[in-house]
Amino acid sequence: MFIEYTYLVPLIPMLCFLIIGLLGRKTPQKGGYIAIAGALISFIIAALISYEYLTGDTYPNAVTASIEWFSIGDWTMHLGYYVDGLTCMMMLFSSFISTLIFVYSIGYMGEEGPRRTRYYAEVSLFLTGMLGLIVSSNFLELFIFWEVMGLCSYLLIGFWSFRHNDGDAASANAASAAKKAFLVTRLGDVCLMAGLFILLGEFHSLDYTTLFDTANIAAADPDMLTLGMLLVFGGVIGKSAQFPLHDWLPDAMAGPTTVSSLIHAATMVKAGVYLVARGYPLFVQNPEVMLFVGIIGGVTAIFAATMALNNMNIKKVLAFSTVSQLGYMILALGAGGYLVALGMDMGGAEGTALITAGVAGFTAGCFHMMNHAFFKALLFMCSGSVIHAVGTEDMREMGGLHKHMKITSITMLLGSLSIAGFPFFSGFWSKDLVLEIAMEAGHDGTVWFTVLWVLGVITAFMTAFYMFRMWFMTFMGEEGHASQHCHGESPKTMTVPLMILSVFAVASGFLILFGLDGVVSFNVTDAGFVVGGAEAGGVGHYFEHLFTNPYTYLTIVLALLGIGIAYLMYVKKSINPGKFNKDGQSWIYRLFANRWYFPELYNQISWKIGYGVARGVNYVDRQVIDGTVNGLSGAVVGGGDAVSKMQTGHVQDYSSVVLIGVAVLSVVLIAITVILGGM
Amino acid sequence: MDIPILSLLILIPLIGAIATLFMGGERQKFAKYVAGVFAAITLILSLYVMFATEMGELSESYAWIQTSAITINFALAVDGLSILMVFLTALLTLLVIVFSAEEKDRPNYFHTLVMAMEVGLMGVYLAADYFLFYVMWEITLIPMYFMISWYGGPRRHYAAIKFLIYTHVASLVMLIGIFAMGFESMGMNGGVIDFSFENINALMPQTSEAFQAIVFVLLFFGFMVKMPSVPFHTWLPDAHVEAPTGGSVLLAGVMLKMGSYGIIRVCLECFPAGAEHWQWVIIAIGLISMVYGAYACIAQTDLKKMVAFSSISHMGMVMLGIGCLSDIGITFAVFQMFAHGLISAMLFMVCGFTGHALGTREMPLLGGLAGRMPIFATFMMISFMASLGLPGLVGFWGEFPLVYGFYEFIQANDMLWLILFCLLTLMLTAGYYIWAMQKTLFGPETTKIDLEHVHDISKPEFAALAVLAILVAVFGVWPDAALSFVEPYVDGLVATFGVI
Repeated sequence: MFIEYTYLVPLIPMLCFLIIGLLGRKTPQKGGYIAIAGALISFIIAALISYEYLTGDTYPNAVTASIEWFSIGDWTMHLGYYVDGLTCMMMLFSSFISTLIFVYSIGYMGEEGPRRTRYYAEVSLFLTGMLGLIVSSNFLELFIFWEVMGLCSYLLIGFWSFRHNDGDAASANAASAAKKAFLVTRLGDVCLMAGLFILLGEFHSLDYTTLFDTANIAAADPDMLTLGMLLVFGGVIGKSAQFPLHDWLPDAMAGPTTVSSLIHAATMVKAGVYLVARGYPLFVQNPEVMLFVGIIGGVTAIFAATMALNNMNIKKVLAFSTVSQLGYMILALGAGGYLVALGMDMGGAEGTALITAGVAGFTAGCFHMMNHAFFKALLFMCSGSVIHAVGTEDMREMGGLHKHMKITSITMLLGSLSIAGFPFFSGFWSKDLVLEIAMEAGHDGTVWFTVLWVLGVITAFMTAFYMFRMWFMTFMGEEGHASQHCHGESPKTMTVPLMILSVFAVASGFLILFGLDGVVSFNVTDAGFVVGGAEAGGVGHYFEHLFTNPYTYLTIVLALLGIGIAYLMYVKKSINPGKFNKDGQSWIYRLFANRWYFPELYNQISWKIGYGVARGVNYVDRQVIDGTVNGLSGAVVGGGDAVSKMQTGHVQDYSSVVLIGVAVLSVVLIAITVILGGM
Repeated sequence: MDIPILSLLILIPLIGAIATLFMGGERQKFAKYVAGVFAAITLILSLYVMFATEMGELSESYAWIQTSAITINFALAVDGLSILMVFLTALLTLLVIVFSAEEKDRPNYFHTLVMAMEVGLMGVYLAADYFLFYVMWEITLIPMYFMISWYGGPRRHYAAIKFLIYTHVASLVMLIGIFAMGFESMGMNGGVIDFSFENINALMPQTSEAFQAIVFVLLFFGFMVKMPSVPFHTWLPDAHVEAPTGGSVLLAGVMLKMGSYGIIRVCLECFPAGAEHWQWVIIAIGLISMVYGAYACIAQTDLKKMVAFSSISHMGMVMLGIGCLSDIGITFAVFQMFAHGLISAMLFMVCGFTGHALGTREMPLLGGLAGRMPIFATFMMISFMASLGLPGLVGFWGEFPLVYGFYEFIQANDMLWLILFCLLTLMLTAGYYIWAMQKTLFGPETTKIDLEHVHDISKPEFAALAVLAILVAVFGVWPDAALSFVEPYVDGLVATFGVI
């Protein structure tokens, strides 16, 4: 009875957007309440839908319904919803975290005055985009909401792109960051669009029900399908900030911290991971595609972690950690999918065993996505609380804040422990599951995944180190310059969401022991592909394995080691970090600090193949083409003068002109005849 | 129905034009109301035709010139192809009058020219006789010429004469094509030249392939210059830069569509074999215009010139859709014509406003305007986003399905790599718009020009832009509202391709 109303889940934030945007100018404060109410209602509806679906008869088969939007020729576009286990999990955590972020915004954005109207309208639209994307019943609908999110991230990252409180340089910076976010993700979107063309060409539909049908997949051209899925993954690379299109995300920190929280936890970057999970039946058709996905994920994980090691900006450290964690999710999906793809190629009992091993990768990726949403939302909002209090983002000016803001300090510590993979915190469960799957894929599949596993383990160590470096630099040690002007703890509207989120950041990992793994599982059956419905505790043997596996203890030890080194460097000061990097002069330090020169690379590429070619085209346009036109008209005018002199009055002259004209015309006519005859 | 609605669609603007022409002196400040009333009546009539009658039901024909050897009728008809353009013409004329409500310089003549333009445009889209079609085609040139040379910018005389000569030469080539069709039909029609669409469009597909191929080129050239396609496009940026805002809106919004309309109406209907013969040329022209226009946009510093080049790029996309010669390609080419009509009207209004309000449209001189002019900034953003094909706005439906139509075509021909040009264009389009917004709306507020007395948009300007913004959103969410008109027509057209 609730599932029929699934369309309300994105529609309510949409209405909030319209109400706030059109009517909210006079009362900016009320806009916030409308946005919160909208997100909360969406969450409640999502909860009711999930409850009904998960206890209903159709579970685990997806419930879908759609209406015809328009049709051209043999191509019909539908508009509808699609509910399965993945949808339920995604819409629950997105709307829940967004609600908390909106509540927090009341405090955080409280001093923005009339601009709050714009803020609340845009975040509501942002949530519309995410929820719409989650409940879509086909890829075109998904793409539409995907782009709506791109627009909202552009607007919100550029929220302070004019009249910034910190002056003109900050405005310019925000404007440039917004542009970069839009254009870099747009590059991915264009790839995704091309992927959708291919899928549409192969299946003549973009509806999930058609695309995930085993018979239809078998009928499609496997080469085109491979190309199509690689292009679709291009969209993921852009949106989920994977290597090499990751560089927009750190710049996106120019927006308000709440927006960062929204982008990193509840919406936007999660959309890419969701797209891989949603398209899993198509992705697993080819092991090479999944290997590519896994490699991108693993490389991104370690690559981003390196840049977080020496960054001094509290938000940028978190931004790099998001990119790195997204890499983990993509790695898990890639590794699992690789095994599934191998298993499906192989068939038989051995194949079934591989598939069984592989589908845990799907669970691991989605599970990590959810846990990450909780702890990353928490971490960002904690950092926002700190920035709100001290008025700077530079960690060197912080320090010793623990005694000023105890709630923020402790909740952020819980979040950091979670992301660092400290045992029994939520990040521990899912991260170790991810590494487990990579190991498995390395063992049963290709050695590449073993390499990626090693990268993943090193990343785990780095993560623990840089997170605690951040926490120690902010809250421990001597008071920095800015800490002395600290306003004290943030208001209740900000600390209460922090406390609620920290409960989830600590405990959401245990959900997997209560059946979440069954809901977010991926099953390959004879009839097709189904998300959900595995026996609850189906990955239970992995947990058994988890505690008997020496490698798990290896990652735990590495995580503790990372925390320990950070403690020695930034609290005890018994190790001088400057010793390792020649006080910031070593090439590797500069490489990380300059983000591997990727911003420079982007600039060069866009400058060369964008502006450079454009200048050339413009030159040709003005000088060559328009020059010819002007030259011709000049010649005609000049020719007119010449012709008037040719009017000699002698009949012979005229007749010779006529003769020449006839001759030229004949030649042209003959030429045309010959050309046409030849065709 | 005895009321000749289609004739009224031409007659009412004509009366409006004449009425405003004689409103000199003291009365000239009332010219806008008179013009507005006539334009509003035309719009209501066009809506009536659109929604209250069946497509193809309305047609009129009055004998004009009739001898034993030649038949020329004042024939009008409306179908799924022309109705959207008729609606667009009526809508944009009214909005131009609303938007230009504060025109101070000889407002009566300005409105005369706008109404005269509507006469010509309505005539082109409604004509069902080649002679009438050509006459109306030429009529549109005259008010536009005066619009540019009287109300334009500093280089207006150069731009106006360039516009006139360029498009006039093209229409002469087209005229030769029309004569060729007439004479060819004479032999097949028992010695009588009947210039009606009905007669010629029925006879021409039966002509020889060589004839079709040659005459196709003559007509196609005439239409292509109007669209305009690279390399015959250089009149457009100059004309736009110099034209007043109202002129630019009509020029980009409906006048360019005369070209693509002509290609479908005349070239495709008459010469299916010719179209197939030149299919790759059409596609090449479309692709080159798309990419070339988009690249040229990036190098522009004048906001209006950038938008002018973006029109070339988007009309290239229309050309590409037509070149697919498939159901989906042509349908969405027509949709793109409609979408671009709405969007480019917004774009030129926004750019024109920038020029009026700030005294310059040079992007390097602008910056941070969003703080001072938030409503203007919102409209600019909506129009730019719509033009770069943001889903949920009308531009997306002229882009995604159209490129898919092209994908189907190249997949059938094993030329998949050609899709890269389309993807490059989409990327560049996002690039120049986002870059332009960063330069003008965001960043530090400019100190290079005096912003002291700058105000946000006025009420009439707001009204015109708001109507367009609403339509852009409505058709973006509900494209079927426009597609349902186009689809039956294109189905019928495409059915003729297979026959020959």
